[in-house]
Amino acid sequence: MTTVSPTQASAEADGIDASARCPLGLLLAFGLFWLVAGGILAVLNLLQLQSPALLADCAWFSFGRLQAMQETAFIYGWAINAGVAAATWLLVRLSGEALRGANYLVVGTLFWNAALVLALVGIAGGYATSHAFFQLPDFVQPVLLVAYAVMAVPGILAWTGRRKEHTYATQWYAVAALFLLPWFFSVAQVMLNFLPVRGVLQAVVATWYAQNLFSLWLAPIALAALYYLLPKLTGRTLPNYDFAIYGFWSLLAFGTWMGGRQLIGGPVPAWIATIAITAAVMVLFHYIIAFLNLRSLFRLAGSSVLFLLMVGLAAYLVGGVVDAVFATRGLAKVTQFTYFQQAQQQLHLGAFSLVMFGTLYFMAPRLAGAAWPSITLLRAHFLAVLIGFGLLVASLATAGWIQGAALNDAAVTFATIGDKTRPWLQLAAVAQGVTLCGNALLALNFLRLFFTKPAADSVGRAVMEASAS
Amino acid sequence: MKNGPIFFFGLFFILALSWAGLVLGTNAQLGDLAPHYDELEGKAFPERAPGLAGQGLLVYRDLGCAACHTQQVRRPDFGADKARGWGERQSVARDYVHQSVPQLGTMRIGPDLADYGTRAAKNGATAASLLADLYNGRNGMPAYRFLFTERKVVGEPAANALVGGARAGYQLVPTPQAESLVAYLLSLKQTYEFAEARPYEPAADQKGAH
Repeated sequence: MTTVSPTQASAEADGIDASARCPLGLLLAFGLFWLVAGGILAVLNLLQLQSPALLADCAWFSFGRLQAMQETAFIYGWAINAGVAAATWLLVRLSGEALRGANYLVVGTLFWNAALVLALVGIAGGYATSHAFFQLPDFVQPVLLVAYAVMAVPGILAWTGRRKEHTYATQWYAVAALFLLPWFFSVAQVMLNFLPVRGVLQAVVATWYAQNLFSLWLAPIALAALYYLLPKLTGRTLPNYDFAIYGFWSLLAFGTWMGGRQLIGGPVPAWIATIAITAAVMVLFHYIIAFLNLRSLFRLAGSSVLFLLMVGLAAYLVGGVVDAVFATRGLAKVTQFTYFQQAQQQLHLGAFSLVMFGTLYFMAPRLAGAAWPSITLLRAHFLAVLIGFGLLVASLATAGWIQGAALNDAAVTFATIGDKTRPWLQLAAVAQGVTLCGNALLALNFLRLFFTKPAADSVGRAVMEASAS
Repeated sequence: MKNGPIFFFGLFFILALSWAGLVLGTNAQLGDLAPHYDELEGKAFPERAPGLAGQGLLVYRDLGCAACHTQQVRRPDFGADKARGWGERQSVARDYVHQSVPQLGTMRIGPDLADYGTRAAKNGATAASLLADLYNGRNGMPAYRFLFTERKVVGEPAANALVGGARAGYQLVPTPQAESLVAYLLSLKQTYEFAEARPYEPAADQKGAH
């Protein structure tokens, strides 16, 4: 990398980005669409908690179905579309070659998103599977699996066809995520829907799957982006990089065992929870290495991309510690079955989203070959998601703690619990609303960016560089 | 990391290991779990629920009831499940062997329903009163009116029609979904004392028992 002059490298990157413009632009547009759609559903869902009568007359939008819909739109709509776009872009850039197999990406994306529309309609119609983070109706699951496999092809091609034999942490994380999802996705499909296992084994498979989605997909994609963007933006090498490989394998090896935390005290063998608690502590080794490698983020300021990455990394690290601490049985006794667990999930999902936003701020203008049309809109989104994220996690965690403590006191009725948690849930609804507004502005800005004529001259590029940082 | 095949093998191995450990491990332990035949009572537990209740389970799943209700009672010294009257003992894997899609749930916005049938019998709740609760809503649970249809009374009113609520000359008739959902809820019982479900008692109590 040091042998190439900056202008040369930039010109080369331009060619690579241009090759990825259409397919990745499409992926990101779908991702932002689902982010906004899921946000609307999430706000409605939280409002139902304040006034249960809202939409209760309408079978399509009962609380349970709406929750399944918003979760599906967020994970399979936003996270997977944006994540595949980011992972493919990172792998293509690091391969040093133009994107190959763009048609796979386009076809896969179209099928994935068409199937997702069917999935949401199916959930509204009552075909959800009732497994958390795996609510997809069984009739779209095979389509989604094939569409994903097709979408992942260009990323894997960029890895196998890379110019340099030597690989970098970003590539490990991105390839691992792209490669592993079809495995655990297909296992969950078979064992939960097509040849369902018996009784409570279903819960074991479902928690195993959900944890893999977090530890083997969302986390690696976010880390891939962090490992690429930090040295790219600062021009400095990462400290303690030699340890990165241990951080990588420890995340995968321990993270995948953590799912049983959800089943503490449940009707499954106790060793499942015990292993999960142990794994949640062991995986801290990964978090320590991630912190050591990426710690310079906490000393930088000024650029909105870096700031988003910093908050995203902080949320990721805090999420890991919170998982380990609240996996212990004494604390799980309070937080289990409460909004606190939702706060924990939002911490992870938020960390992923913030890192993706930072990546998007940087990647989208380069893909489009133009500067962001409105810096004001970008700033508004930046502020909205940061405020919304912090407020959402804090309010859900508080509501959850109050709820958990009250549930463990048999003298407190459900009506009282409802009254006690209501103000915090109202705050959570406001937080989701703020986030939704910010995300709508980002989607608007993104559409304008891709419909502006690419600026080919060097002045345009200078503006673009400035707008990203 | 220059060796691609070894890298991919490593990824695959890690996932296969956790799958084998968690899923196959549990399957080896619980896969052939059978109902327990009680010779004194002359029947096996858990009892099979009637077919209508089996359909009700699917209605429960379709409507996403599990978003607010769990169906897993924790052991007496772990939380207040017993004190709240949700079950005399903890739920065990054997309780769910007949359920096609166990609805363990992850959230308690409403009460746990694992042993709801027992509780309903104790409190005198009947299918009719449960249907009325579904129509009117109760304790923060919204009214699910789409589970009922308003029909003109022709001749005698339907046997299962709700009392009141409808306009003059009309009656509120529960849909088959509502009927099966209620049958399912009333069939939920976790009372049989399986050997593995005996509550863990502190040492002092055990001494008294011996």
